[in-house]
Amino acid sequence: MGLGTSAAVVIGSFPLGESDRVVTFFSREFGRVRGVAKAARRIRSRFGGALELFTLGQLVFFDTGRSELVRIDHFDVTHPFAPLRENLETLGEAAWMVEIVARTTGERDRQPALYGLLVRALRAMEVAARPPRVAVCFGVRCLDVLGHRPRLDRCAECGRAYPFARPALGEGGVVCEACRPSVDAVPVAPATVAAFERLRGLRWEEAVASPIGRAGPELRAVLDTHLSRLIGQPTRSGRFLRDVRRLSEVSE
Amino acid sequence: MTYYPEPVARLIEALQRLPGIGPKTAQRLTFFLLKRPADEVRELADSLVAVKERIVSCSTCFNVTDQDPCRICADPARDTALLCVVEEPNDLLAMERTGEYKGRYHVLLGALSPLEGIGPDDIKVRELLQRLDAGGPTEVILATNPNVEGEATALYLARLLRPLGVRITRIARGLPVGGDLEYADQVTLSKALEGRREIV
Repeated sequence: MGLGTSAAVVIGSFPLGESDRVVTFFSREFGRVRGVAKAARRIRSRFGGALELFTLGQLVFFDTGRSELVRIDHFDVTHPFAPLRENLETLGEAAWMVEIVARTTGERDRQPALYGLLVRALRAMEVAARPPRVAVCFGVRCLDVLGHRPRLDRCAECGRAYPFARPALGEGGVVCEACRPSVDAVPVAPATVAAFERLRGLRWEEAVASPIGRAGPELRAVLDTHLSRLIGQPTRSGRFLRDVRRLSEVSE
Repeated sequence: MTYYPEPVARLIEALQRLPGIGPKTAQRLTFFLLKRPADEVRELADSLVAVKERIVSCSTCFNVTDQDPCRICADPARDTALLCVVEEPNDLLAMERTGEYKGRYHVLLGALSPLEGIGPDDIKVRELLQRLDAGGPTEVILATNPNVEGEATALYLARLLRPLGVRITRIARGLPVGGDLEYADQVTLSKALEGRREIV
């Protein structure tokens, strides 16, 4: 109860009543915080464009303790991340990252490592030539931070040492062909497992710049499947990305 | 709700389903209506029923209307070369209030949303393509909201409509008339700078 202040990223919002908005932040000090921004939808709102998705800023809120929703007093923009909203691909990939954060963390569950990872990934995506690569690097590290690091050195079911032929990736990690029927695992190319292993071992800057060749799209799909399992349903931004890709194929 | 006679309880419950109305407001509205003359309440009830029975969606632009096609689509004085794309019927009304626009409209009945999983198949994008394929408009004005969903929709439509050879424009973004520069946030101000134009 009382006044709270923290650096935070806007990870979602929806309209409330006539002109208010419920905004979800992922903050460094308090984790996921939801609050009401009064009159935020008015053209002359004091919040202006500060509450747009992905915006990084300094959040000041008041928690009455009587509701799950806090009262948003100020949100001073530190970095607007505007370029992320000006391209359909980067918008989709960045939306995928914030959706993962929004749906895998609990309210007021402080996760400074995940907060740092999200801000770093948004900064990288803003200047990235290949936004999906940044999303892949985020996904790989996000699993580690959330405590779901998949095992890649041996079969997660029987313990058989990797490498082996025809690997699959399941919730616990790489799975051999014999164990695959007993778990829900996706068959993948050995190059994808190698890329997964390499990306999580490299420093962030190296990982984002590292060539992973044809393994990229498969690794992206595996991460989406894996994180969707954690969430309990398919990601919504994944659907948006598929629509954008379909449009790119038609317009090219 | 057991304290109230059944019709009162039913009305309180029905009013509570309206957006922005909680139990207290629903109760207040119910007791207000109880005190009004019967004619006035009957008029309100008739209006509610009429809205549901007589209002349809225009088969051309998807605006709300009591005749199909709507008055704007049926008006021969309207410029058929201009087509303004908006998210909701309320946005159309806001555009009409300006008195500046004399073209026609297309209401999408929503906007793309990456976080809500709303895709082009969930809004009236296919119908917009069909209208443009049939010919007529030479300029499409994308007047979706200046937020993430509106921008995503505008970006998507711009890319989708480009091969059709029509002029695609986006409404300007920036400072509101009568506002103070010192209170503008950096996103709005940078958009205003981006969209600056020469004074002649």
